[in-house]
Amino acid sequence: MKMKFHQDADTVSEYSQLSAWKSASTGDRLNVAYGLAVVLVVVVSYVLGAFGWLPHDPEAMDLDTMMADPLTDGYLLGTDFMGRDILTRLILGIQAYFLPGLLAVFIALVLGSLLGVLSGYWRRRFETLVTYFANLIDSLPRMVLMLLVIAAFRPGIYTIMVVFGITTAPTIAMLVKGKVMMLRERNFIESAIALGLSPGVIIFKHILWYNCRALLLIQATIGMAEAVLIETSLSYLGFGVQEPTPSWGNMVQAGANYLLQGNFWPSTAPAIAIMLTVLGFHLLGDGLNNILEGRQNR
Amino acid sequence: MTESLHIRPPLLRVENLRTYFYSQVKRAFARSVDGVDLDVERGETLGIVGESGSGKSVTMLSAVGLVTAGPGVITGKVTFHDEAPLDLLQGLDSNVEIKHRNGRIMHIAKDNQAWQKQADRNLRGVRGGKISMIFQNPRAALNPFETVGKQIAESVRLHTGMKSAVQAKERALYWLEQVHIDSPRLRYDNHPYGLSGGMSQRAMIAMALAAEPRMLIADEPTTGLDATIQARIVDLLDDLKSRLGMTMVLISHDIGVISRLSNRIAVMYGGRVMETGPSAEVLDESADGHPYTRALLASTPRRENITASGHLPAIEGDVLDTINVPCGCRFRERCQRINDTVRTRCETIEPELFEITPGRRIRCWLYSPQ
Amino acid sequence: MKRATWMAAASVLSQELVTTAALLLGVTLVVFLILYLAPGDPFAALLGGRNLSGAERDAAFEALGIPTTWYGQYLTWIAHVLQGDFGISMRSGQPVAREIFSSGVKTLFLTVGSLIITLAIAVPVAAFSAMQPSSLRARAGTLLVYLFSALPTFWLGYMLIYFFTRKLGLFPILSATDETQEYGWLYALLPVVLLGLGNGALSEIVRYLREEIARVMSEEYVRTSRAKGASIWRHAYKEALLLPVSQIIAAKMPFVLGGAIIVEQVFNWPGLGRIAWQAALDRDYPVIMAITLLAAIVVRIGSFLHRTVYVAVNPRASQQ
Repeated sequence: MKMKFHQDADTVSEYSQLSAWKSASTGDRLNVAYGLAVVLVVVVSYVLGAFGWLPHDPEAMDLDTMMADPLTDGYLLGTDFMGRDILTRLILGIQAYFLPGLLAVFIALVLGSLLGVLSGYWRRRFETLVTYFANLIDSLPRMVLMLLVIAAFRPGIYTIMVVFGITTAPTIAMLVKGKVMMLRERNFIESAIALGLSPGVIIFKHILWYNCRALLLIQATIGMAEAVLIETSLSYLGFGVQEPTPSWGNMVQAGANYLLQGNFWPSTAPAIAIMLTVLGFHLLGDGLNNILEGRQNR
Repeated sequence: MTESLHIRPPLLRVENLRTYFYSQVKRAFARSVDGVDLDVERGETLGIVGESGSGKSVTMLSAVGLVTAGPGVITGKVTFHDEAPLDLLQGLDSNVEIKHRNGRIMHIAKDNQAWQKQADRNLRGVRGGKISMIFQNPRAALNPFETVGKQIAESVRLHTGMKSAVQAKERALYWLEQVHIDSPRLRYDNHPYGLSGGMSQRAMIAMALAAEPRMLIADEPTTGLDATIQARIVDLLDDLKSRLGMTMVLISHDIGVISRLSNRIAVMYGGRVMETGPSAEVLDESADGHPYTRALLASTPRRENITASGHLPAIEGDVLDTINVPCGCRFRERCQRINDTVRTRCETIEPELFEITPGRRIRCWLYSPQ
Repeated sequence: MKRATWMAAASVLSQELVTTAALLLGVTLVVFLILYLAPGDPFAALLGGRNLSGAERDAAFEALGIPTTWYGQYLTWIAHVLQGDFGISMRSGQPVAREIFSSGVKTLFLTVGSLIITLAIAVPVAAFSAMQPSSLRARAGTLLVYLFSALPTFWLGYMLIYFFTRKLGLFPILSATDETQEYGWLYALLPVVLLGLGNGALSEIVRYLREEIARVMSEEYVRTSRAKGASIWRHAYKEALLLPVSQIIAAKMPFVLGGAIIVEQVFNWPGLGRIAWQAALDRDYPVIMAITLLAAIVVRIGSFLHRTVYVAVNPRASQQ
């Protein structure tokens, strides 16, 4: 395959006057575009689901049209093995992870930033402690911890997502700490203090907003992708949303037997939904990473 | 274009070498090396001098295929006259498609894998064995995970007939002695981080010479070392030169180092050679010379250059932007010797390397034959 | 290695051991805390097997010699655990330790096997992406890796089963617990492959490896090895392969263990994952606590091994 280099005009503009978006590669732009499209679809679907503006009743069983292929008869994505409209159930399935996922991401970012700043800024007091807690949380595999919590509390999805958020916080803390250390090394922090800025301003405005916001945004996309996978995995295992309320995970599980007999669609439709969504968040994060962070490193 | 006074062809001949780097951010080509011709004769030391960004390092790195930073293309001809002449850039052009417009390169399509493969094929056996290279920053340039001795021994095993571990070790120790490192046996088992800057540079020189190459390229070997250590390394190179009769290309921005070690000097600016000639003549401020060279010599911190008012006559202006290369002479915006006779030509046409005496060339309209 | 460096390395590693022990202690506290805060009374169950309340409970505790304070209970539990006594499963009435051991081996097989597969895919893709980013191999490989990382593991598992049993007719549809099948050993590969492909971290692993390889390849000492005419991989493999791979194994072990739960569910694989799931369903506290502890121990072992590799490879590491 050939690499192509093209010089735009007869006179070339000076230096990096091109914005981050313009100087990004096509691949990155496509990734971000796709990711944003996915986010849009998810948000719209969430709203539709929340208000109940759905094409069909999710629990209505049309016994005449079972296992229908897509585009049959007013069922855009077909029906499942009980004659229920798949599209409706897919849209509704977003309810299961959207808000809980946002909660998880919020907790992870807040807790992670807090710990990261503590261990980076007031190193002497907090570094060992924070590192200890971060390693502690990291020692527990997420799924196993979930099962433990489920066994103990039989919690709702929001509680589960809070726990999930806590388990993701260490990664963010370490990344934020890394940034703080870098700023410290470049004497930004020292200069800021010398200029008389208060710690609050330094931390919130300079460290977090100016230097960490790209990082946090990207971690948010990764976190949402993870949240989708966790929620669907748990509901697949039977622990999240229960039938007949749809979740993409329990839809795959319910259709499993039919899949093994050759009727793919009831299980595959939600699986594709999961894949497209997770891929969207991943690519969004990747593309943003290259565009935003790559720029800083130049 | 070269008239060599020697009967044998030069050990290395670089013809019209161009190395362009593509910047994704600016969507443009940086013309790091923009048509360079050089000859390195056997047994001599060619000093290449210039500011940072003049393309002096990139020239030699391109010649031996060590340019890996970022996307870019290398074109031209580099002939290494070993037993038989070897074109080191052979076949690379077939993997590259270049489109020009108004003398500017607009579009390049490059088959990177094939290009790399061809480059590696051309240079196998040459790199290390026939042409050795030492770099700036020796502690970073040596493998931090291995002892220094093993790395030298590797050179021995790869390029000389000695394959056994014992023989290679003995040879490595021999070379460590040759570079006057203290306690060679001890240093053999050190890792690079345990050596000082000067010692690791000696070790790197030992590693390069252990392969018994025909030619040594030294890319800023003294930059980054303490001043006293610099002097010692220069002494070492001088000593090795005379004892071994090495052919060497010395790249440096330090005129003192260049003047001490070179037989001939090439002055580079903005990716082009501005002046070549025997070092005595090039460095002679009272004789003819390129305005850039004169300005460079006048600006080095020496007692003679510090005028009565205490100012050092620095060269006005900024280093050339290799993306927006001006038409005409590259140096004209900073040249102090432009006069009305040459001004129009300086601004429109780039001068060639005019030969004012055999072996002495200057790229300046002030010295054109007319 | 020389004696001096060996001693220095040993001291660094013994520090690691102390940290590991401290972390595991913290884990036990967390696990205990979660159970203590749970509604109901897990500790009567934990140590006795019955569910009592109030005065009856206090009396029964005293009779059994169980402390009534939380720290007393914690210490008693720890004491038991350190002797290998993880209590009795509420579901089966059997000692937890025995159940865990036999199933643990099966899950170990899954885990190790899947790591091999993950690396077998990730390393080449990362290497191609780093060295020849515009090549077809690199782009196709990266695309596939991203797709697989986004696909839900459970669905992929069912598709694999369908494909292999129905279409290829290779394995009988009997469950994996029947070990007397002719192709039994091949069938055992499926969950390993699934976990290797579908542990969700594949794209992250490839991305990390690719960045490391690219970074190392642009290091100055790699350029020197090229200039020497030496093999660049021989010089770069330590920093570009060994260290990142051991880092990945240590860091992604939690993911793999979590993924095992899903995979074992799909294939009805009688490993720890399945048992954990059952325990969560039954609220079988002793079992789930034991498995959590065990998981944490495995993760920390992975971490410790990584530190060992790091110290062994890096001559400077011992100079703390």
